[in-house]
Amino acid sequence: MNKLFKNRRFLWIAMLLMVALVAAACSSDDNADGDDGVEEDAAETGGSPETATEGGISGDLEIQYFVGGYGDSWWKEVIADFKEAYPDVNVIEHAGPNINDEMRSRWISNDPPDVVYIDGAGSSETQMVEDGQLMNLTEWVEGIELEGGDKLVDSFIVQPGKFDGEIYSLPLVFDTWGTWYDRALFQEKGYEVPTDFESFMSSMEEIKEGEGIDPLVTSGQHPYYFLRGMLFPAFAAAGGEELLADLITGAEGAWTSDATLETMKKVERLQEEGMFDSGLGALNHTQSQMNFLLHDNAFIPVGFWLPNEMANDIPDGFDFGFIPSPMQDPGEPFAIVPDLRPLAIAENAENPDAAKAFVEFAFTREYAMAFSEHTGAIMNITEVDLTENENVPGYLTEANAMINDPEQVQIYEKPHPMSADLETPIGNALMSLMLGNMTAEEFVEEAEKAAADYRN
Amino acid sequence: MVQSKKQKYTFLAFCLVPTFIMFAIFTLYPLFSGLYYSFFNWSGSSQNKEFIGIGNYIRLFNDAIIPNTIIHDYFLVVTKVIGIMVLALFFAVALTQLKIKEAPFYRIVFFFPNIMSVVVIGILWTFIYNPSMGLINSGLEFIGLESWTRPWLGSETWALPSLVLPSIWAGIGLFMLMLMGGISNVSKSYYEAAEIDGANQWQQFWKVTLPLVWPQIKISILYIVITTLNGSFVIVQVMTAGGPNNSTHVMGSYLYQQAFVQYNFGYGATIGVMILVLSLITVLLLQFLMRRDKVEY
Repeated sequence: MNKLFKNRRFLWIAMLLMVALVAAACSSDDNADGDDGVEEDAAETGGSPETATEGGISGDLEIQYFVGGYGDSWWKEVIADFKEAYPDVNVIEHAGPNINDEMRSRWISNDPPDVVYIDGAGSSETQMVEDGQLMNLTEWVEGIELEGGDKLVDSFIVQPGKFDGEIYSLPLVFDTWGTWYDRALFQEKGYEVPTDFESFMSSMEEIKEGEGIDPLVTSGQHPYYFLRGMLFPAFAAAGGEELLADLITGAEGAWTSDATLETMKKVERLQEEGMFDSGLGALNHTQSQMNFLLHDNAFIPVGFWLPNEMANDIPDGFDFGFIPSPMQDPGEPFAIVPDLRPLAIAENAENPDAAKAFVEFAFTREYAMAFSEHTGAIMNITEVDLTENENVPGYLTEANAMINDPEQVQIYEKPHPMSADLETPIGNALMSLMLGNMTAEEFVEEAEKAAADYRN
Repeated sequence: MVQSKKQKYTFLAFCLVPTFIMFAIFTLYPLFSGLYYSFFNWSGSSQNKEFIGIGNYIRLFNDAIIPNTIIHDYFLVVTKVIGIMVLALFFAVALTQLKIKEAPFYRIVFFFPNIMSVVVIGILWTFIYNPSMGLINSGLEFIGLESWTRPWLGSETWALPSLVLPSIWAGIGLFMLMLMGGISNVSKSYYEAAEIDGANQWQQFWKVTLPLVWPQIKISILYIVITTLNGSFVIVQVMTAGGPNNSTHVMGSYLYQQAFVQYNFGYGATIGVMILVLSLITVLLLQFLMRRDKVEY
């Protein structure tokens, strides 16, 4: 063997092979960086001349959508209808609970699907916009009309998020976090449904005594459930949209501000008075939701998707009740911070015309109604009357009415979702506070530090 | 048969070149591309990447979580090496020397966790640790130790130690088999000779068994160290996802979080380089410390 490795020729061959391999690996990246690869791809698929249909829309249309708590039945219906309306378009669906990870390589190699619904783990609108992956829709959206002739831009419940004043995505799903309880249990035992933070505390006190349980649960493995579900509304109620925006963007001094500290004091109080489930630190979101359904706890902050997501595990007689998270001081209206799940078109879409046609096709009041029937959540379109529809769950019509009554509920918009780079360290510190290993003062210091890191 | 030089080299090349190509594609290329990406600011989700030199390395040294992940990793290494080696050696000696009738049965039972996926083991133990309906807390309550019950995986103090038990449980079988192989290779005559010289069971173990299975022990320890440094990620990710408040993050799980949750792929690659360097140093150090002349009687 020794002789073999001493043999120069063999060594040379081996080295050459290695160099060639590394060079090949690196150069393939360089190539993909340029535009050449993309043009080639586009020529391949769009190359075959097809007869144009009305509007001249044809060819392949790739749609990527995440399937989570809302299921996929709404998507199936819309896509089937779209195929009927545009028979020359060949719709290719990329869907599933892990679709964001599965499609990642396509996005990296600049060969994205045409339309993308941004939702679920592994997707981030902020990242996609920052990386220039989404098409600028600012001008195009002005021309879209709903079936009644109303302009789409005037009919959003919540306006599209803007990055430097430009629109890159259209908010499709209007979701909101809030606090859930079992209406049947509350009626049977006469527990009070909270209306503000103080009544929240007294209600939980009662439940603690009456049921012998820790009343409030959330996922400790994913602290953002509590952050988005309880704290965002609490911050908005305490300091309005301005404070909320400062906290989300990590503005200097926002996390150590008095309004923030006061809110965190409430969390500290929840912990000190034993309102949190003692085991929540280990729970993932399904486990915490299961605990809630089994009456191990009485309140849980989750979004509208909860009943749909847990549909197979709901005990008989369980009746979902939903209130905006009651973290505001007495006398104030509830605060709601909508969480929007947008639909967007890829900057490098191979069939942008079909993509635009699909997005326009999906945004109608008819599909908004269908969305509530299929998913138990709300599509981001105004003047959709859910009250007459028997297929829409009761909590939703009730919540919808509440949301539309400014005396009861104030809607606060956030500029964009919080970046994972800020949310992760803050979530970790929050967990420590909720487990009683940190004080509210220490928490705001930690959070301010995380915000400073994030800004740099 | 006399082979010409050419024939000999052709044969060697035939054996070595395909392997080398595979090795280059699946080991060297990822290694070097990892190193390459560690110099970039890259989200890992698009084509945009910006060369930032050693920026990620500077960040690595200023990241307060990194020292903790290293400590957690080595905590797992030390506890696993001790736990697995002591128990595996104990069981191996028991099953080979004590002439237990059910030895084959136990051999299968102990090896069982090794054929299970680590993910399944993680999920299984998450249920065992469940604060309200888990086996451990109900067991403690049953024997009257209610004050000992706690949310094992949900506590910043107890979560990391709680991960040790499943890791040891999952590891014993393989190393037990390796040691059993070593022990059964030791000639019976040594034990007979030792017995005639008046050595008791303990002395036989320390003076005969241990020195003669030392090569197997050494390999086992190295193997546990390497797999722990590279692979404890799985059990952490499944059971605690690094929480609560980073109290169980190991280097691998923190890499995953940075690269795929926080979209800092370049920084994740930097952490990967750190894992590589630390693993190399650890293994070299261990090789040096465990160097011992081969014993032959």
